Amino acid sequence: MTRVPLTLSINGEMHELLVAPHWTLLYVLRTVIGLSGAKENCLEAECGVCTVLLDGKAVNSCILLAEQCRGRSIVTIEGLGTSGQLHPLQEAFIRHGAVQCGYCIPGMILTAKSFLDETSGRVPTRDEIREAISGTLCRCTGYQKIIDAIAAVAAETKGGT
Amino acid sequence: MRANRNLVAGQRLPRLDGAPKVTGRFVYGADFALPGTLYGKVLRSQVPHARIVRIDTGRARAMPGVRAVITAADIPATRFGNAIKDQTVFATDTIRFLGHPLAAIAATSVEAAEQALAAIEVEVEALPALYDPEAALASGAPLLHRDWHDYVALPFISRDGNVAGRTRMHGGDVAAAFAQAHRVYENRFTTALQHAGYTEPRAASAAWDGGDTLTVWTNAQLPFEVQTTLADILGMPTSRIRVIVPGVGGGFGGKLRIGVEHFAALLARQCGRPVKMVTTSEEELIAAHPRQAAIITLKTGVDRDGRILARQGRVIVDCGAYSGSGPGTGAVALQCLVGPYRTPNLEMESLAVYTNKVPSGSFRAPSGPMANFAVESQMDMIADDLGIDPLELRLRNIVRDGDTGPAGEVLRAVSIEECLRRAADAIGWHDRRPAPGRGKGIACSWWMTTGGSSGVYLKLNTDGSVNLASGAVELGTAALTGAAQVLAEQLTLDLEDIRIAPVDTQSTPYDYGAQGSRTAFSVGNACIAAAEDLRRQAFAVVARHLGLPADEMRLQGKCVVAGEHRVPLSEVARLSQLGGGGLIAHGTAINPPPAYDAARVENHPLPVWNTPSFHAHAADLSVDRDTGEITIHRYVVVQDVGYAINPTYIEGQIEGGVSQGLGQALSEEIVYSDGRVLNANLTDYKMPTSLDVPPIESILVECPSQAGPYGAKGVGEPPCIEPPATVANAIAAATGLWVTSLPITAEKVLLSLRKEYPQAVDHRDSARD
Repeated sequence: MTRVPLTLSINGEMHELLVAPHWTLLYVLRTVIGLSGAKENCLEAECGVCTVLLDGKAVNSCILLAEQCRGRSIVTIEGLGTSGQLHPLQEAFIRHGAVQCGYCIPGMILTAKSFLDETSGRVPTRDEIREAISGTLCRCTGYQKIIDAIAAVAAETKGGT
Repeated sequence: MRANRNLVAGQRLPRLDGAPKVTGRFVYGADFALPGTLYGKVLRSQVPHARIVRIDTGRARAMPGVRAVITAADIPATRFGNAIKDQTVFATDTIRFLGHPLAAIAATSVEAAEQALAAIEVEVEALPALYDPEAALASGAPLLHRDWHDYVALPFISRDGNVAGRTRMHGGDVAAAFAQAHRVYENRFTTALQHAGYTEPRAASAAWDGGDTLTVWTNAQLPFEVQTTLADILGMPTSRIRVIVPGVGGGFGGKLRIGVEHFAALLARQCGRPVKMVTTSEEELIAAHPRQAAIITLKTGVDRDGRILARQGRVIVDCGAYSGSGPGTGAVALQCLVGPYRTPNLEMESLAVYTNKVPSGSFRAPSGPMANFAVESQMDMIADDLGIDPLELRLRNIVRDGDTGPAGEVLRAVSIEECLRRAADAIGWHDRRPAPGRGKGIACSWWMTTGGSSGVYLKLNTDGSVNLASGAVELGTAALTGAAQVLAEQLTLDLEDIRIAPVDTQSTPYDYGAQGSRTAFSVGNACIAAAEDLRRQAFAVVARHLGLPADEMRLQGKCVVAGEHRVPLSEVARLSQLGGGGLIAHGTAINPPPAYDAARVENHPLPVWNTPSFHAHAADLSVDRDTGEITIHRYVVVQDVGYAINPTYIEGQIEGGVSQGLGQALSEEIVYSDGRVLNANLTDYKMPTSLDVPPIESILVECPSQAGPYGAKGVGEPPCIEPPATVANAIAAATGLWVTSLPITAEKVLLSLRKEYPQAVDHRDSARD
């Protein structure tokens, strides 16, 4: 199949790629570049485990064509923090016991970051947080400790991360 | 909770794999890929029951990118299976469910493999199908496995035609007791197929080494079972098959049985290249290993005070096309159907039945929620009919320490009264109907801590840390962090001093596996034994070094203390390398079942439960009379965990288990129509989202067991057992009627309120408050 040149900005690095027009951002991240922090499951934007940030907003990378990301900024979980220097959300997820199997957690954390950045300047309610993460399925935790973790970061940072 | 004197065990410490998981660096089975890998896909049947006339793969083989195509014709028709070897890799001559594998293809991309699947020509001749297990039991029903006599089965299994397993438990004289009873109640309950719902699909990568050795990387829960199953399928010795588990994105029992490993292995063998397979959501919902649908009839006789005189029950579990975990699931339902109640006369039977639907498996507390839904709903119906408070009725009937259980075993560390009373207090039981359309419900149960053996190796490192190698997989529960806390406590280390090795059947010791609420319990016990071995060896090393007697040494603050001397474990490791090839310790554990009366049990794989746990749940909810919609305001769990090795992750088990249980109670069902799944996607298969799960309060009771580490009992499965019954009873408190069919959708509630739903028990005309 014909491949077209595409330059993508991922976690602050420019990647020069040749992509097929039907490749999704998730495919490019996981299979072409080797960033497997964005997870694969339903591939129909039903479960949210593939969530990344596109220009700071949470999106399902499984239904987004790589081509649609041309000239835009992509942040994956690998771009958020490292083991030595965790992002406050990453640290809070561990501290509150919000991580079990962890497969939904990259998507959850990036969704939470997008939401807290949107509500910057005020502390969102638990119900607002509950609604904000409702597009990402978690089967392990019942969401309670995930909401605890996000609420704690929201309270510490007055929204915004 | 009791005061905890330990420094590491019993503490709310963060899990050991937290940082890799939150940073996206943790590698799961679905992430793992080898260089040059091909991608495998399975062709699945589009009809539920048929004879195969012809499968032509000629066009598919010629498609671009295709490197391997296999069908039943390419491999020996070896049968495999857990309790009964009744499955083959592909349908041989008969298709038994829609989704039955017919062929597999490996290609250079997923798209190429999918396009080639579409080019395979399949010609079939439809056969009459059976979707209803009761119809499959009827005389004259077509036999779904004509060769069932020839299948190899575990010795406990009793089979007959479409019945893949029959189990009985009995004691006393049920007929005489019913004849003397003040009242006899008989009800029928039905439950639905439920998917385990792990967010990571089942995935496997397979590669042959160029000789005759296979390596499989998979997100399986039971790597040693995958190894033996692959050995059956491939006709190879187990030691030639190496199974490695990178990481698992949830299992809940759904990843116990073999998933796609065998397809990957066969394709990789044919084309001589690595092959990776990942299931789609559609495949998961039409052809994974969901929780069986069940039909339960329960007859109970009581005296004037509501004391149980006799119980007679029958559980039919719908195995689907292959037996899977069905016979064991049906059997275990019997102990759940007796419940934590004194039952002087009982007669229980389970039947695991073949139909032309998805082969089912084991999902967290297999059969627990189904049987509990039946027995606990009926307890409330009895209480209501007799005008006795449902809590009081339970307190009159619950087992006490020293009572005998259903198999005649003596029950110890029984805490059910405390669980019930604390759940009632927490939910505000004194005000059970606080407003019109609002009610509170309670339900209780017991559950086993599954046995099976565990082995661990420990390796002492020169920085004083210890590697822990166990064959038990970390599914996400933090059970391995719990076992590491036990180990650290035993060795006076910090939790961060323990490194958990990845599971690899070639190098890690055997473990019965991450299932049955046993992982932290059993691996924890093996860690205690291994720590003893490590101490013994460390003392011997120091004894040789200092010339002091080993029997006067002890471990303290990460050092071997010998008189005035303190030798750090890091130094012990160094000394052991100089003179002894390093320090490796070994420990094993097995929790033997208690004695029981074999005359009371027939054909049961788990006739008596090890180290049972006790628990009670309570809910406060409202019913919208115009829509039938349920809103849960509060949900309380009181669970006896024996000893809370890590309260944070036990709460995590409770919150997650309740969430799954509420899904089963209210919304989850794999919906079949004429053998076809109507909701094979994650939008229409309704698992709870963050908007659906109410606040859940966990109260941990610690009534210590004799067998578990520091008194622990099994924790992981129980939280999903009681939610359906708890919700059903709260709805009944709010409305006066019980819906006896899961899931209790708004539609069923609304129809029941209008007296238009047949599967409801309506006490509204006779209700007494």
